[in-house]
Amino acid sequence: MADKKKMSVAEILAAARGEGKAAGKEAAMPADQTAAAQAETPQSSADSPAATPAAPKPGSAGRPSVKDILAMARSKGAAASPVDAAPAKPKPASKTAAGKPAPAKKPNAPVAGPKKNVQRDTASILAAARSGAKPGPVGKAEAPVVAKPQARSAAKPPPRPVPPRPARPAAKKPAKNAATDERRGFLGYAVGSFMAVGFTALSMTGGLFGLGLARFFFPNVLAEPPSRFKVGSKEGFPVGKVETKYVAQYGVWVVNSEFEGVQQIYALKTVCTHLGCTPNWLEAEQKFKCPCHGSGFYKDGINFEGPAPRPLERYAIRIADDGQLEVDKSKSFQEELGQWNDPESFVTA
Amino acid sequence: MHSNGFFLSDVAGFLGGYYTFLAIMNGVAAMILWRRQQRTGWAVFWASFAGVMMILASLALSGSASMVPVLPEAIRGLVNQLSGPVLYTLGTTAFLVLLFVFRKFFVQPMVAWTVFNASLLLLGLSMADENFAAIVMKPDNVPIVGLVYLLAFFTWVATKQAVVNDERIKQGLPVVEKVNDEKVLVWPDLVYTELICMVAVSALLLVWAIFLPAPLEEPASSVKTPNPSKAPWYFLGLQEMLVYFDPWYAGVVLPSLVVFGLMAMPYLDFNKRGNGYYSIEERKFSYLVWQFGFFELWITLIILGTFLRGPNWNFFGPFEYWTPYKVEVLNNVDLPQMFWVQWLNQPLPRAPQDAGLLTQIGYIFLREAPGLIVMGAYLVLLPPLLAITVFRGFYAKMGFIRYMVMANLMLLMLTLPLKMILRWTLNLKYIISIPEFSLNF
Repeated sequence: MADKKKMSVAEILAAARGEGKAAGKEAAMPADQTAAAQAETPQSSADSPAATPAAPKPGSAGRPSVKDILAMARSKGAAASPVDAAPAKPKPASKTAAGKPAPAKKPNAPVAGPKKNVQRDTASILAAARSGAKPGPVGKAEAPVVAKPQARSAAKPPPRPVPPRPARPAAKKPAKNAATDERRGFLGYAVGSFMAVGFTALSMTGGLFGLGLARFFFPNVLAEPPSRFKVGSKEGFPVGKVETKYVAQYGVWVVNSEFEGVQQIYALKTVCTHLGCTPNWLEAEQKFKCPCHGSGFYKDGINFEGPAPRPLERYAIRIADDGQLEVDKSKSFQEELGQWNDPESFVTA
Repeated sequence: MHSNGFFLSDVAGFLGGYYTFLAIMNGVAAMILWRRQQRTGWAVFWASFAGVMMILASLALSGSASMVPVLPEAIRGLVNQLSGPVLYTLGTTAFLVLLFVFRKFFVQPMVAWTVFNASLLLLGLSMADENFAAIVMKPDNVPIVGLVYLLAFFTWVATKQAVVNDERIKQGLPVVEKVNDEKVLVWPDLVYTELICMVAVSALLLVWAIFLPAPLEEPASSVKTPNPSKAPWYFLGLQEMLVYFDPWYAGVVLPSLVVFGLMAMPYLDFNKRGNGYYSIEERKFSYLVWQFGFFELWITLIILGTFLRGPNWNFFGPFEYWTPYKVEVLNNVDLPQMFWVQWLNQPLPRAPQDAGLLTQIGYIFLREAPGLIVMGAYLVLLPPLLAITVFRGFYAKMGFIRYMVMANLMLLMLTLPLKMILRWTLNLKYIISIPEFSLNF
């Protein structure tokens, strides 16, 4: 195990299991000898149903499932528990094992402790506890370190007998469960379990938060200018005029110009078709010129220079009921798709 | 441009310091050369150059705006008239080729020092021009000036070592890196150097931040684009590419290909030589392709975008006033237009009104046939053609897949200069132009 350079997760787990078993046996052996007089045979508890399912697994080379890992931890607990738990309470041996994987660590301390040092100061106890088998997966770097003390302790004569101690967690847990079942059971009928209460509260809070968030997307006041707006009567746009005063608020040029031989008033979108910058209208050169990459458009919006691949887009424009021109930004018309022939895209001047 | 006097008295203080710095720098250089007693002639030359710099400094600090040394108006006018994207690109290419071909001459320290001082002097004389100073001394652009000098320096150092090594290899000697392979320790040698650099750079940045504050502007507005509107300096090469290509290609495909190509490089390189030491002769192809991609297609485009692209992304000479009203004829035509209308004298194939989608797509293919054929030939026929002619040896060494990756990466890289040339000569806008699906190439 230690001589291998790289260990897969499966190998590490298998190794940990092997140690667990060894530690369990080791712990069980002295207990066997000393506690024999107390008429309780740990052998039977070691063969208890909790331990058996874990036994055949470690040999398998495949990736261990979570179930396997838990079973491993349990088997350790079960194997180690006879030392202290079994003599005190024969029945809950299986329960301890199933309930808590953690005690697997504890029983090792008294096993390794006495054999190392006669004086029992804190440091030595801690060191002994640390040198013991680590439950669960072992890191690559840890594997050899963990393995060594095990090998040594296995070679050494069995440690001093450990007086059996009552298992605290084992005693508490069933009591609590029993109490819930019997006396406070009505609480369960009233509000469900505390888990259920917690999750209900959580989901309600989440739901309320979600509703609040949804409300946030529909503000009371919309700062955005309306997508339909009036720009005055046709007379305000003499032939050849490019009105730039709506650019800042609406992003629209209103132009009176000729397109395919027809004098039209139309609304051009102020977005360059190359990368979306806002071009400037250059009156002297009679063209829209984009500051970003130099695209140029004629007055009718047709691209003629620079990288812009297609003409500017038009917004819908119409004569409203009161005779004013009304631009509708919710509809746009693209020349390359032939949409500029759409009567909605212009007003005949 | 208009009130030159005010500007000159403003910039005079800076120029005084600048020339004094040049004088001190050259004085120290002359002293070092003199001490070595090897190049006393050069020492005298640089000492007198330092004297000239002192005179220029005192002229700049004289308090009279007319005394500030500046390039003659005639030269500035000529430079402005001559400069344009074509001349700039061809000029920088010619300059880089010159540096490469005569690298043995330029790596000599005294030659390099002369070029360095000449460029600094030219920069100082140009900086007394208001339009030049407005661009070069703009806080955004100062780092680009630094970039030019830093890149020049590092390239020079590497080239110098490569030239020395090439000479040694030719004579059958081991390369310098093998001979002089003294090891230094990370601690303390490297860590100390890094610490000192860290402190120095922090101090520099602090001083820089105090003297050249960040140019903050008004809040952004979606309907107001600054003119000129420039990308961050490191993206100005991309912005220049966008002049020639559609955004999906210049903004997405080409930059991704740059990254992909850089990652592919170690796997495409089959030349085992030049590993661990500088050499140009031993890896000429790799060296030239790299330097072309880096200097020609990235750095010069950044410099062009920073200093020479003004309002409306028009090209401006280095001493030209950045007027947004400059008229530049940029009319350009798509290849289908050129092919069908100009050469075949017939209208563009256009699907009849209310035709089905498939018919429309068919007409689009017909319309774009010349461009598609040209591009297909370029990307499909050219690699095998090159494999049996120019790159015969490469193909044999690299195998099919590696060769095809290399050839295609190179051809795609070359689309940029080729497109630039086509734009300048034929006013070609797009080879394939399908605005119906926003697909242009």
